[in-house]
Amino acid sequence: MSEKFHAELAGKKKQILVMSAHSRSMLRDSMVALERNDLRLAESVKKRKEELTHLNETLEEEIYRLIALYQPVARDMRMIVCSLKVIAANERIGRYGKDIANVVIKTINNETKYTDLVTALSLPHMGDLVLSMIDDALRGYELEDLTYISHHSERDDRVDALRHTIFREGITYMMEDPRLITRCTNYLMVARYLERCADHSCKIAEKVYYLVTGERIEIK
Amino acid sequence: MSESTILTTENLDLWYGDTRALRSVSIEVKDRHVTALIGPSGCGKSTLIRCFNRMNDLVDHCRISGSINYHGKNIYANGADPVEIRRAIGMVFQKPNPFPKSVYENVAYGPRVHGISDRKQLDAIVEKSLRNAALWEEVKDRLSESAMGLSGGQQQRLCIARTLAVEPEVILMDEPCSALDPIATSKIESLIDELKKNYCVIIVTHNMQQASRVSDYTGFMYLGEMIEYGETAQIFENPNKELTENYITGRFG
Repeated sequence: MSEKFHAELAGKKKQILVMSAHSRSMLRDSMVALERNDLRLAESVKKRKEELTHLNETLEEEIYRLIALYQPVARDMRMIVCSLKVIAANERIGRYGKDIANVVIKTINNETKYTDLVTALSLPHMGDLVLSMIDDALRGYELEDLTYISHHSERDDRVDALRHTIFREGITYMMEDPRLITRCTNYLMVARYLERCADHSCKIAEKVYYLVTGERIEIK
Repeated sequence: MSESTILTTENLDLWYGDTRALRSVSIEVKDRHVTALIGPSGCGKSTLIRCFNRMNDLVDHCRISGSINYHGKNIYANGADPVEIRRAIGMVFQKPNPFPKSVYENVAYGPRVHGISDRKQLDAIVEKSLRNAALWEEVKDRLSESAMGLSGGQQQRLCIARTLAVEPEVILMDEPCSALDPIATSKIESLIDELKKNYCVIIVTHNMQQASRVSDYTGFMYLGEMIEYGETAQIFENPNKELTENYITGRFG
């Protein structure tokens, strides 16, 4: 019986990692679309939301089923807790990808003086930082290994600082040219979404820590 | 030794002939709490619980070293009275084993053996014991009927009432629910929760969910050793020993 449970749990973990890849691709592609001013890619990200919702609901339900049927304890219980958190974080990260895709669609314009603003504000750089945090948190979950998340707190600080810088720079651009206000406000929202995604990677990291050690910590 | 500790074992070893069944077991059992002993078959948990009221005295070739202290006194010391120990430390077994007598006589038997013959006094003890065993309402109109006519769960609660009738301090339960259906099991578990307000309960169980549901402290035993002993919530959330983890998550045993 317990072999069956452990096989099922391992299977669920694999499916959750597939969901993670899906939501990560939504965030990554939305950032690519933003950088390249790519309307078609942004619309494809929006379309992926449906699959994200489906994965979220079914995986969550299947984890509940495992709890009801097997009443896991100790590390198994902690794996369940961590998996639920990863599912929830995946869903949020994918939705922020969709939100960024919406920004791309709203602000689509081929004039370079507008599109250059994305790079000028360091949004692609921030996106890379956040994606690498998400990747490492998920790697920690996959391999149940704390080394991948050992610097999450400092990395999150860097992302927070960057968001603050982007905010101040954005204000300067808006003061320089009030026609940029709508676009720039949207870009500041992108920075906000990215910062939230970094927070979700920290939430995953906290639960990976719990999974491995049984202790709860707060990563800020 | 803290104030609420009622029983301790110190370096307890036990041999059945040449077989060493307990290996240097040292634990402290808290009064008015439920302590569960878990572990795979043959790990020594039943042997240990039987040491607490010297039931192993009845087994041939059984030798013990180390000590078990009840209120600080070694129950295996010369001059310790096993009959008195078994009154103070009662036991409920795996299969309900009522005497083939009436419900009333089952409960009154112990007090009678201990010298109480006054009918009114016995009536009061029987009622109180049956109430405390959560059985009174079900049997109060059939006290003179045979105990063998009760259901398995009722018989087990009758055995608990019989134990309570001699006013013990500690109640040992050796797999008290393994012969019962889930409803009867649930009643016994609720009863254990009530009993711990006034008694120290030590329970041996194969059912880990039962241990996690009913106990405050859990001891995990393996091959005669107490591998890990601690608060139940800690054992089931984050055990310290890998062996405990592997057992409670069903990886062996």
